[in-house]
Amino acid sequence: MSIPAPSMTSPSPDQGKDPADHLAAKLRSDYPQRITGELILPAKPGSYRPLPEDLDPRLAEALGKRGIHRLYTHQAAAWASLQAHRHTVVVTPTASGKTLCYNLPVLQAALQNQAKALYLFPTKALAQDQVAELTALNRAAELGVRAFTFDGDTPGDARKAVRSRGDIVVSNPDMLHQGILPHHTKWAQFFEALRYVVIDEMHSYRGVFGSHVANVMRRLRRICHFYGTDPVFILCSATIANPAELGAQLIGDEVNAITESGAPQGSKHLLLWNPPVVNPDLGIRASARSQTTRITKLALHQGLKSIVFARSRLMVEVLTKYLKDAFDKDPRHPARVAAYRGGYLPTERRDMERRLRDGKLDCVVSTSALELGVDIGALDLCVLNGYPGTIAATWQRLGRAGRRQRTAVGVLVASSLPLDQYIIRNPDFFLGASPEQARIDADQLLILLDHVRCAAFELPFKDGEQFGNQPLNEMLAYLEEHDILHPEGDEWHWMSDSYPANSVSLRSVAEGNFVVVDTSGGDKTVIAEVDYSAAPMTIYEGAIYMIQSTPYQVERLDWEGRKAFVTRTRADYYTDAIDYTRLKILEPFEEHTHDRHGVAQGEVHLVRRTTGYKKIRYYSHDNVGYGKIELPDQEMHTSAVWWQVNPQALEAAFDSRQIALDGFLGASYALHIIATMRMLSEPGDIGKAVGDGNARWFATVHASGRGELRNQDDEMIDPARLDRFTPTLFLYDNYPGGIGLSAPLCESREAIVREALRLVTDCNCSHGCPSCIGPILASDEVRGYSPKQAALEVLSLLGPGHSAAIGSPRPDHDT
Amino acid sequence: MTLRAKLSRLQAFKEGRGQQPVASTTDLQQRLARINRTRLPGESKQQQKSAEARLARQLKGYPVSEGLLRIYRRIPLHGSMGRYPLSLLQQQPRLPGESGLADRRHVYFDTETTGLSGGSGTLAFLFGFATVEQECLQLTQFLITRFAGEAAMLEAIDKVLSVEDRLVSYNGKRYDLPLMKTRYRMCNRPTLLDQLPHLDLLHPTRRLFRSAWPDCRLMTLEQRLLGLERQNDMPGSAAPQAWFDFIKTGATARLARVVEHNTQDILSLAMAHVALTHAIEQPQHHGADIAALARWQADHDPGAAYALLKRYQQTLPMSGKRLLGRLARGFSDWELALEVWEGLAQKGCQSATEQLAKYHEHISRDLKRAKHYCEQLPIDDDQQRRMKRIACKLYGEEIQPSLHP
Repeated sequence: MSIPAPSMTSPSPDQGKDPADHLAAKLRSDYPQRITGELILPAKPGSYRPLPEDLDPRLAEALGKRGIHRLYTHQAAAWASLQAHRHTVVVTPTASGKTLCYNLPVLQAALQNQAKALYLFPTKALAQDQVAELTALNRAAELGVRAFTFDGDTPGDARKAVRSRGDIVVSNPDMLHQGILPHHTKWAQFFEALRYVVIDEMHSYRGVFGSHVANVMRRLRRICHFYGTDPVFILCSATIANPAELGAQLIGDEVNAITESGAPQGSKHLLLWNPPVVNPDLGIRASARSQTTRITKLALHQGLKSIVFARSRLMVEVLTKYLKDAFDKDPRHPARVAAYRGGYLPTERRDMERRLRDGKLDCVVSTSALELGVDIGALDLCVLNGYPGTIAATWQRLGRAGRRQRTAVGVLVASSLPLDQYIIRNPDFFLGASPEQARIDADQLLILLDHVRCAAFELPFKDGEQFGNQPLNEMLAYLEEHDILHPEGDEWHWMSDSYPANSVSLRSVAEGNFVVVDTSGGDKTVIAEVDYSAAPMTIYEGAIYMIQSTPYQVERLDWEGRKAFVTRTRADYYTDAIDYTRLKILEPFEEHTHDRHGVAQGEVHLVRRTTGYKKIRYYSHDNVGYGKIELPDQEMHTSAVWWQVNPQALEAAFDSRQIALDGFLGASYALHIIATMRMLSEPGDIGKAVGDGNARWFATVHASGRGELRNQDDEMIDPARLDRFTPTLFLYDNYPGGIGLSAPLCESREAIVREALRLVTDCNCSHGCPSCIGPILASDEVRGYSPKQAALEVLSLLGPGHSAAIGSPRPDHDT
Repeated sequence: MTLRAKLSRLQAFKEGRGQQPVASTTDLQQRLARINRTRLPGESKQQQKSAEARLARQLKGYPVSEGLLRIYRRIPLHGSMGRYPLSLLQQQPRLPGESGLADRRHVYFDTETTGLSGGSGTLAFLFGFATVEQECLQLTQFLITRFAGEAAMLEAIDKVLSVEDRLVSYNGKRYDLPLMKTRYRMCNRPTLLDQLPHLDLLHPTRRLFRSAWPDCRLMTLEQRLLGLERQNDMPGSAAPQAWFDFIKTGATARLARVVEHNTQDILSLAMAHVALTHAIEQPQHHGADIAALARWQADHDPGAAYALLKRYQQTLPMSGKRLLGRLARGFSDWELALEVWEGLAQKGCQSATEQLAKYHEHISRDLKRAKHYCEQLPIDDDQQRRMKRIACKLYGEEIQPSLHP
């Protein structure tokens, strides 16, 4: 998606014959009070340039046969930039012909210099799409350029042919990391002629994954250097705030950014939708789910093709079930509605993609899995069930609906989550804001160390060599100490009977996916995969696990063997896990002490435990029971920012410790909202917690809505009976070792507290609500004090005061 | 905190060993001190030199250049290895289908490597090979005693090889040779190894004994074919650690046993070549798969395959009988072919039934029989065409008398 102009169009009832326009008009007239913002992006004509003069005539001919006689301006700009040997990133919307930006120079180099190219896509599906497109172009004029995919599915006997005969090898970063670089000698011919490296969907390489990929690129360039080549990188990205910066971080070199699209666009109509308030006192609104189903049903009845994005796999399944209940009641007719998410087997996903392209499905409900450029044909409506968490992801998803000639409609339905409510109530913020910066930290110690190992296996390091921006020699010495490397002369040699790339996964730190095994029929069939990190929350014993809205119950979880055994069930409820987090401060890196409070940033040890789950009945959403979960604790060492109030100030400000505790919990909720916004990160990247800083106790919100303390053994403690009471409010980097979020958080600590204070003060609720300090229950009315007031009190204690040296608010390590 | 201490701590958490969050400083200091001690340049160089000298003495090898030992032995061709006298090596062994190749000098080679996973971080620290010359088995082993010795080893290997040689290995096509090529590539030099013809004895062994043996490892071949039981052998899987230990600590004992293991492997390899030719001459005696052998021979010497199958006709499995039928047809021995096909057809072998239908239609012209067999074939286009044709011919036969009264 391109960034919309930050101007909002006033609702204009353009009652065209266009079915999508019709839908938008109907939604607007039927539910005016639910629409908080609206944006109409007018259709845009294309802007063109003639084919470049230095384009090989054979290529021009191939383009001509495909009906292309001129280029969009961004394609021409990319051509010029690449002919000047500049690393280039192209940032343009979906379906703007960005593949031609890299295919043209690559094919030209292959035709004229027998030069080779490596294409990297984040998923195998995208890679296969790409080869199909190249083959078509190639066939148009019999160019004789050979493109092959090389991934985990490539059969062993075909691999040699790919290595020796492929002009264009289409792969993914994981395969480059595990299959190509460690065997680079087999690819010697390829590397010796490598001219271009194409990285498509660059925006998906952010956070941990991106940090890994940046290191894989360091390794790739190191190997290329060994073979005497220095390929030019071509990157393509959806809209993010900092494409040139991200590109530069990924490849470790300056990148020229091309951001003006010359492709024509149909008009787009975006509605921001807030579900109606059903309980004004508690600030409770109707669920986003109910609104999403209603809008989608309306669209389906009008014959529009729709895509619905939900934030979790669970929500995808629930929404699919509700839509199927309405549209796929008759099993004799082919299904009109389908779910699409990670965890399905590849063949299932390919089949679904095909049915979408062929127009056989009317509606698909998806997680972010369809956010990337998998070709799914043209759609009329995109509904986002909940704010995707980032502005970039929102535009990326909305971009999946769109046609050249007709209008496409997007509806963002806000959930009750605070971030959603903030966005929906401040439409100017969302519609006017630029998308997020994509952040990576290629020098994150653990990630860098992993890749130093892999790189040392590929080629011995020489003294004085550079790899990343940490002292390489110290890392090498560390590896020597662990008997992995051996220094000899000025080189560090690999000295271990192992293949390091196999133990490093780019996509998550913890290795080992879980497989879900269906034992219903007596057979054992693998029906899905679950990430290690998602396992404790989704496949505990007793969990209802859903696939295409068919419920399975987890009978047994083999944690060590990474298997969950499930059977088909007819349960009329689904399950939702409950977890909590305990933190211990290890070492502060920086501390700021003020008269009433202190803020610090440093390293913490974190334990996360999944304790139980709720059973929730369909449709009524009643809580129909609890279950216990017994799983190993998840431990992590990461960095955090924490706030403490000095004990005297705390005693003076609050009548009881219970009130103070509720205040801390409410304040943490508000601070977390603001921190996530300010860091422009994914919602899960930053965690929040309240504890004593020494892991002796931690606080949770009990089902009653009040804060309570629990010790390490999960027993309740009365705060009044503690000797010392130093509640500590943590915002932590939710990745082992930290991915560099806590330092910038600490830098903007004053602004964060100030904005959180404003968020709570400005909220219209009386005692607290999901949009400010978290949900409170009806019974809170009779608490005798306002949790919202308590949170405000804590936030003002944390606000800037006069620096003074009254006692250290640091936790006591030794007592 | 130093970077290294930080790494230790992070790594411990990552591997789930995070019981002691703060790494004990004294412990770390001790470890650092230990590293620093072992890395005193002068001292360690001296230690390395003396370890290399010790190893050379122990193995009766001599240094070719920095970090490279050459161990050389002449083994006279008397005495025996298991069931076979060594003297058999004096005639060049020859397997089915080998024309001029078998007259080349055979270079029996085997490597010991720093890992089994492959990839560019794995190297061969020991390259051993043997040739038969002047009534002796001449065994040469190149052993590198530090990383720097590798380039010299690769150069030395290429020097002793000639373009007239032929490589012989056991699983070398899939394992040793690709690894050696990787090493030459890493050191950026071309190699003769790339160009020489290569016989991998694992493949004929698999052909002949896959069905009879639990596996086809060299050890199994030694026991079953050579009648040899290794005493006190060090498993090849221990080789990487033995070499690493030598590099780090100068310990020679286990590395010496790896060299011995490699010697044994090469001797067995050479004798396996001889034993395989014997197994081919007397397959039943050695428990070889006759049908598989015949299939192998049939490509080069159908006569020999035919004779072999006829000799063991009674004991052949279905696949062998099918081949026998085909060869009998090729040699126009219709009587035998019929016998074989009829036997097979009775057991429900479709291809035999089809052969019988063809035979009776075209050769014996017994159309009724041809029809009989054809009817037993599964119905498809071919079968339908055949049925129709036979029916036409039958009709022709019936009306023929009336055409020529």
